[in-house]
Amino acid sequence: MSTWANLGLQDSASPLMEQLIFFHDHALLILVMITVLVGYLMFMLFFNNYVNRFLLHGQLIEMIWTILPAIILLFIAFPSLRLLYLLDEINEPSVTLKSIGHQWYWSYEYSDFNNIEFDSYMIPTNELSTDGFRLLDVDNRIVLPMNSQIRILVTAADVIHSWTIPALGVKVDGTPGRLNQTNFFMNRPGLFYGQCSEICGANHSFMPIVIESVPINYFIKWISNNLNS
Amino acid sequence: MNSLRCAGCRLPGAAVAVIAGAAKSVGGAHRARSADLRLMRRFTHHDGTRVMSGKREVVGYGVNGSPNYIDCSDFPFPAIRYREVTPEICAMREKEQGDWKKLSLDEKKSLYRHSFCQTYAEFQYFMPEWKLAIGITLWAISFAMLISLVSNVAIYDDLPITYDDEHRQAQLRRIIQLQMNPITGLSSKWDYSQNKWK
Repeated sequence: MSTWANLGLQDSASPLMEQLIFFHDHALLILVMITVLVGYLMFMLFFNNYVNRFLLHGQLIEMIWTILPAIILLFIAFPSLRLLYLLDEINEPSVTLKSIGHQWYWSYEYSDFNNIEFDSYMIPTNELSTDGFRLLDVDNRIVLPMNSQIRILVTAADVIHSWTIPALGVKVDGTPGRLNQTNFFMNRPGLFYGQCSEICGANHSFMPIVIESVPINYFIKWISNNLNS
Repeated sequence: MNSLRCAGCRLPGAAVAVIAGAAKSVGGAHRARSADLRLMRRFTHHDGTRVMSGKREVVGYGVNGSPNYIDCSDFPFPAIRYREVTPEICAMREKEQGDWKKLSLDEKKSLYRHSFCQTYAEFQYFMPEWKLAIGITLWAISFAMLISLVSNVAIYDDLPITYDDEHRQAQLRRIIQLQMNPITGLSSKWDYSQNKWK
């Protein structure tokens, strides 16, 4: 979850998100270096009193400042492509979760386990407890096992919604009439929050997503409790 | 034609190469000099410049053949003298042919001011526009602050109840108990073994 005055990315709960954070830091470092260099050059122009009236061309420096940016771009491109293919790797998920977006709540189905289904509505601010997170807490959280690959299928019932958890690096659009699939892996327990990320009407800001990541024995216990009730 | 330049004035510049040999002598070459001046006039590309320079002397090639006057440190010697020819300046030009030590300071200054509009110090000095720019910027900032103050007081609703101290403390306690952002974020600053901030 974002804490107060959080400027950067949330700490990751997934190895892929960790890699995304590393790539972000790497690319940002390169950009900062370029910006400082260009900013310095522009700033020093204020204090320059020399003019070369007969300047026509400088072949060597023009070659350098064409080749060097190409090399810098290679330093950005290779990690980027590596990460792109890493995100698409095939693995074998152990749990499948279906998430359907409605106006204006999410409903979830665990079809692996005798069809557990429930809706997840945001808790309104006036019903929130003292330590509740405004616009983020929901009545029924998605309980999922940690340290397991999880497949999620996202769709929508009416208009386009988007299911996202920033701490896991997951964002999947839910389009009516279409199933979009992605995988993720949580490597620590806790609560992970997200909010609908595709404009879907008046209460688009008021349909959050909460994942409760638990050890697998607690997950099995939760499943059997839900099956019995 | 004679009124266009004094006898002692020289004509530098590439276009003058055409009139080689004719410029030095005075009396008999008067007609030749007129012809040469007409020839030189034909070499300029904009006849309007000749009209604008009026009675002022052309002393250079100018911008691609069009004589101009501009005070610029990149191109120091303009192609047109700044002021028109007068008998006083003709006399001083005669004196200028001799030893410069014999010229007084005032004569040097008037010779300069005849040929040029401003000195280097005058045209390189920065204009005081920055004062107006800073003034307008500060005015705009204060106007924006006024609008935001009025909006906050008169237009916007109160903040939700979750912004008060009791709620925020409770939320902070819950954030720490849930170990949110435990790597570099908020929970990483809490010492769990001693139950206080690091």
